Amino acid sequence: MRASTLARRSQTPLSLVGGGGRPDTSDGELARGLIAGESWAIAETWQRFAPMVIMMAERCLGSKSEAEDVAQEVFYRVFRKAKTLRDPDALRSFVYSFGVRALRTELRRRKVRSWLLLDRPELRAEGAHRTPDVESRDLLRRFHVLLDRLTPRDRLVFVLRRMESMTVEEIATRTELSVSTVKRSMGHATERLSRWIEADPELSGLLDGRRWGR
Amino acid sequence: MTTTSEGPTGSAALASLIALGRDGARSPTRAELDQGLNALYSRIAADRVRRRALARWSLVGAAAVVATLLVLQVVSLSGRRAATPEPPALAYEIEGGRVLEGGYLRESGHAGIRLKFNEGSRFQFLPGTRGRLRAVDRDGARLAIENGTASFEVTPSSDRRWLVEVGPFLVTVKGTVFTVSWDPSSERFELSLRRGQVEVSGPVSGGSLALRAGQRVVISLARGETLITEEQPEEVVGGAAPPAAASVASSGAAGPTASAAVAPSASARGAGARRWADAIASGQWDRVLEDVERAGLAATLDSASSEELFALADAARYRRRPDLARAALLAARRRFPGSPRALDAVFLLGRVEESGGGGAARAVAWYDEYLTRAPAGPYAAEALGRKMTVITELHGSAAARPLAEEYLRRFPKGSYAGPARALLRAP
Repeated sequence: MRASTLARRSQTPLSLVGGGGRPDTSDGELARGLIAGESWAIAETWQRFAPMVIMMAERCLGSKSEAEDVAQEVFYRVFRKAKTLRDPDALRSFVYSFGVRALRTELRRRKVRSWLLLDRPELRAEGAHRTPDVESRDLLRRFHVLLDRLTPRDRLVFVLRRMESMTVEEIATRTELSVSTVKRSMGHATERLSRWIEADPELSGLLDGRRWGR
Repeated sequence: MTTTSEGPTGSAALASLIALGRDGARSPTRAELDQGLNALYSRIAADRVRRRALARWSLVGAAAVVATLLVLQVVSLSGRRAATPEPPALAYEIEGGRVLEGGYLRESGHAGIRLKFNEGSRFQFLPGTRGRLRAVDRDGARLAIENGTASFEVTPSSDRRWLVEVGPFLVTVKGTVFTVSWDPSSERFELSLRRGQVEVSGPVSGGSLALRAGQRVVISLARGETLITEEQPEEVVGGAAPPAAASVASSGAAGPTASAAVAPSASARGAGARRWADAIASGQWDRVLEDVERAGLAATLDSASSEELFALADAARYRRRPDLARAALLAARRRFPGSPRALDAVFLLGRVEESGGGGAARAVAWYDEYLTRAPAGPYAAEALGRKMTVITELHGSAAARPLAEEYLRRFPKGSYAGPARALLRAP
């Protein structure tokens, strides 16, 4: 066999397709474009808000591919329901609400599947995040296995509060729960996760090995 | 644990995990966003088509819609005929699985999924490969591979465009034969091009890669590395070589990074040089996998000893690479069919499928095969116990009770005797 080998480092992301959007437009103008069915508005809405939705879904579900599926569902619904948007300036909030709703549905579906023993959280979390080292991936996988043990509501509230840094009031609005219910869910989730982490010596060992600390 | 007005904030360990989860999510690249947008356009377009079809059947609008469509069709056809002849519509048939909602390709057996198009193109998804058929239209098709390996034999045509999304990469092809794989856990992309030309776009430096026949590219996102190797292209070799799909299918053991053009490296294949068993015993699983990567998976599967294949399967299982473990075990089963280790491979294939591969139903099939071929074999008790457990999970206690009775009759002191008795006691 004759063989010659070339190796090179790559860091630069590649642009495949032109954006086609109008990044200078305000959210209100964008919403009006969507309502009118303008194709540029579809592209711009996706480019502007899809990263936010995908990252929120990835943090919540622990899976990049599932996060992308959720984003597809969210924006498909946003485009179909754009005409129901009363305040065009609230487009970001409109998209966020669809995202939270889709995540709640997905978490419930996943819980049902786990009851039917069709879901394997330890596999789904595999390779979920683009963390640089194997230890971090192990930690994340274990963390998402613990998150899977929470109820869908507690998990969603916990992720929105602690990873998405939303206020309790914002979470209450998006999830259509009362503020006190959100606080109670946060408490449940935090207390249970702390207890489970403490009871998992391997997880504690991994954390110690990484010298994590506050 | 500290407490605020909102309640407890959790331990320092929890805070660390939250930070890791928050920072671990990466903003999608421009290429990924573009791919997502294209998929969204396809869905919106498909939705519009579906709505149109519904509207055609409505009593009031039927005549108007049909007339409009006819006029548009005539105008469109006359316009196109003046320029170029229109290619016939694409149709395909699927073997070894079916297409679920959203285009998800669901494997129904153990032999992977085969797609055959009416214009001659053929695709094969190796066992355990996850993918989607995103769109098929007059101009070509768009597929996605989420995990695993697939082979493509695309009939050359200037009228059609075939796109294959492989993880974050996009392979654009006109007519060619190639094998491509993506492993999301290690973020490793591999493409071996046997015939024709393809273009690979995605997170690679310099825009995109144009590959010609005989080239093999391996991209490791984790290492930020792109490796291009040149080998003998199929055209130069000559002769009527079989298409990629056929060669993969005949081997029956091609793994996630199977590359038909990869020849074994003598240095990497030195007998006993690897001492993989020692590496496994000392927890150096990556060393085994790196050896395989250097030598080439296809070459390793064809030349490694039985013990080396089992060591490779172990390393792959420990590193959560079920596709690789499956390929090694299938190779052991194929190449050493009369040996006791071949039977071990059958049982271990069940464990691979159960704990990370193709699912519980496949695991049961492997356990059944083991129990049929080696009813008193060293893993018989384990196979029956695992089958009982899996059937309980799949179909409930009632379905598993006959297995529990059989287990207690055959292995009353076995390690699954306790669960078997519990099953029989359950209401």
